[in-house]
Amino acid sequence: MAEQVLEGSQPVDLSKHPSGIVPTLQNIVSTVNLDCKLDLKAIALQARNAEYNPKRFAAVIMRIREPKTTALIFASGKMVCTGAKSEQQSKLAARKYARIIQKLGFPAKFKDFKIQNIVASCDVKFPIRLEGLATTHCAFSSYEPEIFPGLIYRMKQPKIVLLIFVSGKIVLTGAKVRDETYMAFENIYPVLAEFRKIR
Amino acid sequence: MENSRACKSCKKKTVIRDEISGNCVCVSCGIEQEFDNFQAHYSGIDGPQGIFVRVGASGGGGDYNYKEKKIYQAQKTIEDIASKLGFSTARSSEVKQMIETITEGEFGCGNWFPILVGACSYVVMRKNKRSLPIAEVASTIGCDIYELGRMIARVVDFLDLNLPEFDIVTSFEWAIQSCPSFSGISKEKLDRMVNQGRFLLQCAIKWFLTTGRKPLPVVAAVMVFVAELNNVEVGIEIVSKEIHAVVATSRRRHKELQKGLVEVAQALPWGKDVTVKNIVKNAPFVFQYMEMKSRLKPGEKTKNLETVGFNLEDMVSGCLRKEVEFEYATDNGKKDDDSQYFEVEDRNGIASQSVDDLEKLKLSQDSLSRIYSQFSNGAAHVKSVRESGKDHRRKRRRGSELHASTEWWTGKSDLCKKLSLEQILEKNVGCNALPPSFVSAVLKCKRRREKITSAKLRINEIMRPPNTYSGDKEDLSLLKILRASKKRQGMKFGDIDWEDYIIEILLLHQVKEEEIEKGHYNALLDLHVFNYCLMSVNESLITGKCSFTASEFWANVLYCFYLCKAAAEVWSKNSLHWFLGKSKEVPCSVPTLQQLIYEAGASLVLAGLAAEGMTEINGISHVDRGYENLEIKLQFLGADIKRLIHLPVGYDKKITLRAS
Repeated sequence: MAEQVLEGSQPVDLSKHPSGIVPTLQNIVSTVNLDCKLDLKAIALQARNAEYNPKRFAAVIMRIREPKTTALIFASGKMVCTGAKSEQQSKLAARKYARIIQKLGFPAKFKDFKIQNIVASCDVKFPIRLEGLATTHCAFSSYEPEIFPGLIYRMKQPKIVLLIFVSGKIVLTGAKVRDETYMAFENIYPVLAEFRKIR
Repeated sequence: MENSRACKSCKKKTVIRDEISGNCVCVSCGIEQEFDNFQAHYSGIDGPQGIFVRVGASGGGGDYNYKEKKIYQAQKTIEDIASKLGFSTARSSEVKQMIETITEGEFGCGNWFPILVGACSYVVMRKNKRSLPIAEVASTIGCDIYELGRMIARVVDFLDLNLPEFDIVTSFEWAIQSCPSFSGISKEKLDRMVNQGRFLLQCAIKWFLTTGRKPLPVVAAVMVFVAELNNVEVGIEIVSKEIHAVVATSRRRHKELQKGLVEVAQALPWGKDVTVKNIVKNAPFVFQYMEMKSRLKPGEKTKNLETVGFNLEDMVSGCLRKEVEFEYATDNGKKDDDSQYFEVEDRNGIASQSVDDLEKLKLSQDSLSRIYSQFSNGAAHVKSVRESGKDHRRKRRRGSELHASTEWWTGKSDLCKKLSLEQILEKNVGCNALPPSFVSAVLKCKRRREKITSAKLRINEIMRPPNTYSGDKEDLSLLKILRASKKRQGMKFGDIDWEDYIIEILLLHQVKEEEIEKGHYNALLDLHVFNYCLMSVNESLITGKCSFTASEFWANVLYCFYLCKAAAEVWSKNSLHWFLGKSKEVPCSVPTLQQLIYEAGASLVLAGLAAEGMTEINGISHVDRGYENLEIKLQFLGADIKRLIHLPVGYDKKITLRAS
């Protein structure tokens, strides 16, 4: 336990993060196939941490506290696990859900686990002129203050969507691996720095 | 005819429908067929579906088919919405054409269609660089602004349009022209208000008041401010409602705008007296100052005030001569503060302090003298009023109306015209504000840093007490926390709140301070604390021995302790010692676990097992939810633990774990 390397407690690797800022992962969404048909009503009745309202949503919503995650379990045996803060946690949580389903008497397997989305956020610590960014990068960005306060920047390579706010806070979403998030941030950082000063 | 069914008599496919009677008759043999009102589908896949029952004999081809009716109604809807939005015929036909392109000539009916019409109307206006706020369209067609926004995004995507940027200044112009509250104002005055509004709005852009914010509340705030300035009585609520802005947000923006102007006013000689309350009265001077600043070229330096010391002295004494008249420019209650100007005079105007104060101005001397010449003009006006023998109170009121009658507004600044963002940013208006959200984020970060520092101090105090274990002195800070824990408000214990506890926990888990400063507590707790701590506890639970080092153990124990304490509030010194392993004496009452976080509950069970004597833990539903059949698992490991089930009078099931 003691030798477990804790992320965030290590110094920033400047070769990987030239900006010196490492985006914090906030949510990981993963899917897995349990490879068996499930009786959702039975699951909802037997599991104490499950909620099921077929009128509202055709999946059982199950929550566990460790790692603190929520899963959507569908009758087809497909499962979506959300809320984990790291890839390992997401996988561990998905395994725990699969185990719960197994314990309820279904022949659940653990097939095709895949991270579908990684959401990260960070703060560049300077204000950003969104109007300026929107005009110069109009091919990638959409800024409609009437609808949403942030600028939506659709980066092509890596294919990541960034929400950029005037306060300097950035949300990065759409990555399948964590490095894509980091790369997207390192790509956007010089652009943001350009709009840092009131030009 | 070939498609008709066969005659029941001659089997020829020559059956037709008689137009008069509606019956089917065979043309070749003349025999009337059995009654059958089935008709095959017509007009292909686009035609109406199902079986059509024709009632009576009439209606051969007089009625419109579905498609024609749909298109007719759709066009009526478009015209209706366009007229409500005040579109010209050309514009509405443009909208119609856009919808036709999108729907491939099918138009549509149903609830979605008006939203599409609204979206297309917005896009057409935006394409033509005309202002039409989304909120206005949404209220006209009676739908949600976000629903409309999504449709607009789809229209723009589908047509692959590149819309020009949203222009808040145009939006303001539209709002002031169309707002009913401003309808009775003379054209000249309205033009001046539009000019002032444009000026103010472009300043607001420069001060980040519009970036990343809904534009209409800012527009409402500017409109109200300009109205106040021109003695037009309008309420911010009414204006906000008329232009479909949220009233509370508009009020907030109005306040922010006032604060921005107050900040600029600090550069004026009487700047300290200018507050949000009297900014409207001072606005003419602030505006003039901003105008002058904005007219300076970016690189141009103002004259050094020290080199014109003589003139400065003149100017200051001039200012003092007008002291009496000056009162009405500031708040009435600020009369006492005028003594500061006398002080300046005593020091002969060029005393170092006064120069320092005035250096802040960075104004050319010409401009200052012009301001004061306008003061004196105003004063002359007031003097004439005074001479007419009106009472003092009245004079003051006339004095406050001075700005309305005086032509202080020149409108010569470029900022009164519509400028591009770059041009606005190049202008200097005497203040370079940062976005409010950024400022608040910086403050929050600073507060967190302070909390981190104090948390570190507290931890050091506990981990390295001045003397080693010596009776009463140890854990003084913790006890202080406990004693102060009577307040229940927001789980606050004296000056320590939940955030402090979380920060302490994170620090104890060696999370970097920069990470904590960001404030993503949930993510950090999940990453560093919950996993780590529980796995350690679980490991000790399963193996029966602790594999972690002393400091890790300390971190875990403190973490659990904080969790318990934060939830339970009641904790005796005895319990604390017991919990920290410094006392073998079992506390008489262990707080109910009803509110405790389950990990803390499980750790309490373990602590109970470790302590001497018998411990009873009540309300263990949280432990049960986190650790199913914990007592059985512990029994397997050789623990002496029992589950006691009581069923008291209230149907509340009370379960107790007895560990010894």
